[in-house]
Formats: sequence, C-alpha cells, structure tokens
Amino acid sequence: MTAPVLSLRGVGVNRREVPVVHDVSLDVAPGAVTVVLGANGAGKTTLMDGIAGLAPVTSGTVQLDGRPIGKLPTYRRAQAGLGYVEQARTVFRTLTVEQNLLVAGGDLGKVYDLFPELGNRRGLQAGHLSGGEQQMLALGRTLVSGPKVVLIDEMSLGLAPVVVRRLMDAVGDLVGLGIAVLLIEQFANLALDIGTHAYVLRKGRVVHDGPCAELRGRSERLHEFYFGLPPAPVAAAAESETR
Amino acid sequence: MLNSVVAGLTSGGVYALLGLCVVLTYRLVAVVNFTMAAVGAMGAFVMVSLMDAGLGVWLALPLGVAAGAALSALLGAVLVRWFGDHDERTKAAVTVAVYVAVMAIGLRLFGGTTTGARRFPAPFDTPAFTVGGVVVPQSVLVSLAFAVLITVGVGLLLNRTLVGLRLQALSERPATAEVVGIPAPRLAVGVWAAIGAVTTLVILLVAPRLGGDFSTLGNLIATAFAVAMVGAFRSLPLTLAGGLVLGCLEGLSASLSAIQQYRGVVPFLVIVVLLWWRSRHEVWDTAHSR
Repeated sequence: MTAPVLSLRGVGVNRREVPVVHDVSLDVAPGAVTVVLGANGAGKTTLMDGIAGLAPVTSGTVQLDGRPIGKLPTYRRAQAGLGYVEQARTVFRTLTVEQNLLVAGGDLGKVYDLFPELGNRRGLQAGHLSGGEQQMLALGRTLVSGPKVVLIDEMSLGLAPVVVRRLMDAVGDLVGLGIAVLLIEQFANLALDIGTHAYVLRKGRVVHDGPCAELRGRSERLHEFYFGLPPAPVAAAAESETR
Repeated sequence: MLNSVVAGLTSGGVYALLGLCVVLTYRLVAVVNFTMAAVGAMGAFVMVSLMDAGLGVWLALPLGVAAGAALSALLGAVLVRWFGDHDERTKAAVTVAVYVAVMAIGLRLFGGTTTGARRFPAPFDTPAFTVGGVVVPQSVLVSLAFAVLITVGVGLLLNRTLVGLRLQALSERPATAEVVGIPAPRLAVGVWAAIGAVTTLVILLVAPRLGGDFSTLGNLIATAFAVAMVGAFRSLPLTLAGGLVLGCLEGLSASLSAIQQYRGVVPFLVIVVLLWWRSRHEVWDTAHSR
C-alpha cells in the first residue's frame, strides 16, 4: 500500500471539555475516498473538527504527509494542504462567489472548470445561491489552495438527490486530480459506492475498519456496527421487502 | 445658537470617529469593545506625559499612538487566545472588566477630573473661516475630514483589497476563515492594534476641548456607543451621520440655558430612544406569538 497522506494514531478529541472521540487510528490513501460512517452522535464531526484543528486533539498523533500537524493552529493546517468542507454549507454569505474563492487564494480557474455553475454566478452574493450551489462553492473553495487531502462532512445534508449525485461526481473529480478525500456521509450507500476504504465509528471509537466493498448493500451489518445490535426482525424484514 | 451648533459639529466629527471605531471593532472582530476610549485615553496620556518630561511632540505622538495600539493589541490577543470560542456577551463582559481596570489604573497614574487635567496640544484651534458671523475653527474641518477619510478608506479597504475581504470573512465566520487558511488570530490582533492607534488619535483631537482629564476621556465610550447604535453597529455612513447629529444636539442643548447642565445626558437619551425604536417589532412579534 502507498504511504497514507493523512494518518491518525490513537487520536482522542474533546468537544467542550467532554471526551467524544477515543483512540482512533485511521489512514487516508492518496487519490482515493476514505469513508467514515456511524450513527448520529458517534463522533464523526468531532473527529473531523479535531483533524482540522477546530476541536482539541487530546491524545495521539495526526500526520499530514508524514509531518505532525496535531499541534498546529487551524489556518496552518489549511496552509499545509488540509481542506475541510464543514457541515451546513459554510460559505461567506455576504461575499460574492468570486470573493469567497479569492479569500482562500490560489487558482480560481480549476474551480470554475469543476463547477461551471459557479462561473456563471461569480458576481452573486453567496447567501443568494441555492443550497446545492453553496455546497459546490464550499467544495470548490477548498480546491483553490491546492490541498493534499479534503475532509468532507455530510455534504448531502438537506439537498435533493439529483444535487447530491452531482456533488458526489465532483468528489470523484477531486480524486481524479490526485486529491485524497475523507468523507462523512449520511447516505452510507452513496459513500460506499465511491469509497475504497471505510471506518465505522460507534461512541467515538472505531468498531470496523475494512474495504468499502465489504459493506456495500449490507445494511444489516452496518446496523450492527452502528448500534452494536443486530437489526430487529420486523425492521429487517421490512428493509428486505423495500430492497 | 448657531455658534453652539458649529461647536457641536467639532465634537460631532470626533464622536463620529469614536462611533466608527466601535462599529469597526464589532464588524471585524465581533466584539462590543467597552475599553476603546479608555485605551485611547491611555495612549493620549502617555504622549502628553512624555511631552511633560521634555520630549518633542513629533516624537511623543508616535510613541503615544504606539502605546494605545499595543494596549489594544494586548487586549485583542487575550480575547483571541482565551475567549475565541466564547459568544459576544462573554467577550463584551471581558472588555467591561478590562475597562474598569484600565480606568482605575489611568486615574491612579494620571489623576481624576479635578487633579489630572493636562494641557494637550491644540494645533487646530485657530479659526478656519467665518460663516454668517460664526467662527468655524480648523478642528471642525480636521475632525470631519478624518471621519470621512476613515469611512471611505475602510469601505475601500474592505471591498477592494484581499486583506479587506479576509477581514470580512473573518468577521462573518471566524472558524471557517481559519479553515480556508486565513491567519485569523494575526489578522484580529492587527485590527485591535489599528483600532487602538486610531482611537488614540481621536482622543488627542478631542482632549483640548473636553478639559483633558482621564476620566472624561475614558468615559467617552458611552457617547461612542450611542453613535454606533445610530449605525446599528453595521453602517459606516450612518454612524458618521449619527456622530454629527449627536454633536449638534449636544451643542444645541449647551446653548439652551434651561437644559444646559443636562447636556451630558444626550447620548443616553439617544441610546434609550434607539433601543425602544429598534425593539418595537420584537414587542409586536412577541404579542402575536402568544
């Protein structure tokens, strides 16, 4: 296996002084999508915030390209090549599309190549974009500084399926550019479809670590990993009927 | 009466400047800064103390401004380092605590209203021109020009430069600004230093007119907040206009013997009226949500 671009060993992360993530080790391979799954409250977003520097890493090591970044301030991690698309479409609403990209510096052309929709609206205030366009902007903004790895947290939240598919295609394009992606996604099957390796978190700990192929279409296994219990027979039957 | 209104314009320009500093601090680093005038007064008194010790004005002025900038930057660094994740109320409460401390130290070092009045240089007291028998001093023009310069200059800085765009991003979403690689702590401390420097200059401009004691100058923050409220802590042009209106109101009240001695209450009246005016929809909404 090629050396991971992002590597975590025994990482613990606190949220408001409360330990939420415990002893997590994971690797993110270059040019591939690594998926983190888990039920609500499993600690996925806290883990991402810890990697990005928005929440304190209390133990373990975070390495980007073999260099420890766990003690760096957030902006230094970004400058080192760590992109982060936070949950809930965090664009700068009062700035225009172009200004949103300019503040991150670098090459705007490749963003407009990836998202021509944004090129047509470059003079519009980001707050006036649709939800999907705002998410494209947040994703595109990470690109301008030439990241080595991009963390993406629940990109599909509140978006129409057609928009989600468009965004997933864009994630595939990032991988095509050689960028590593660490993806949290509520639609597990969508994530597993484009991912190569998956980690499942429960109560802040990794309870499964394996290729995405092992989990594709196996929702009963995911359920077991999410909650530590096999799915109830009625629910399992209902699920098999809908499949 | 016209004379008093023109005199009020001099104060109005300075009030506008103080209000602009409050609005800028709020817009750029999201802090309602109670220490601002006290910090500016500290810088101004460092300058005048150095002059009393025999230093020339052109050496004392940059040192005083640097002292105001450094003190403000120190406060900014404390807020960024230890209170970065806290909400606006907590940050405002911290500045109230620091305001009390700076005022206490300033009064101890430089004396109170009766004992501590200093002679500040007043280079703009000479008449500029006369209109209808009213002498307009240079200080009116200087303070107005300074206020307009700051309003226009900051507007251009925010919208036409990369630093300005990054400052806007920082004020809107501090965490996201850091996530995209903006050195937020450094920029924020820079804003605090610039605000401290400008406030010191503003206090130096107004000090000769207001008696030159630390207490009066440090407490100008109440007036600055009244002016900032006119601009809703957001609009620079409205804040500029608010400062001028407040100055004229104060000048007008000084010319009417019946209310002359209560003219210091004008800023508080403005605050109360604006709070009432702005909250009238909340009352309406609350009544309808019951």
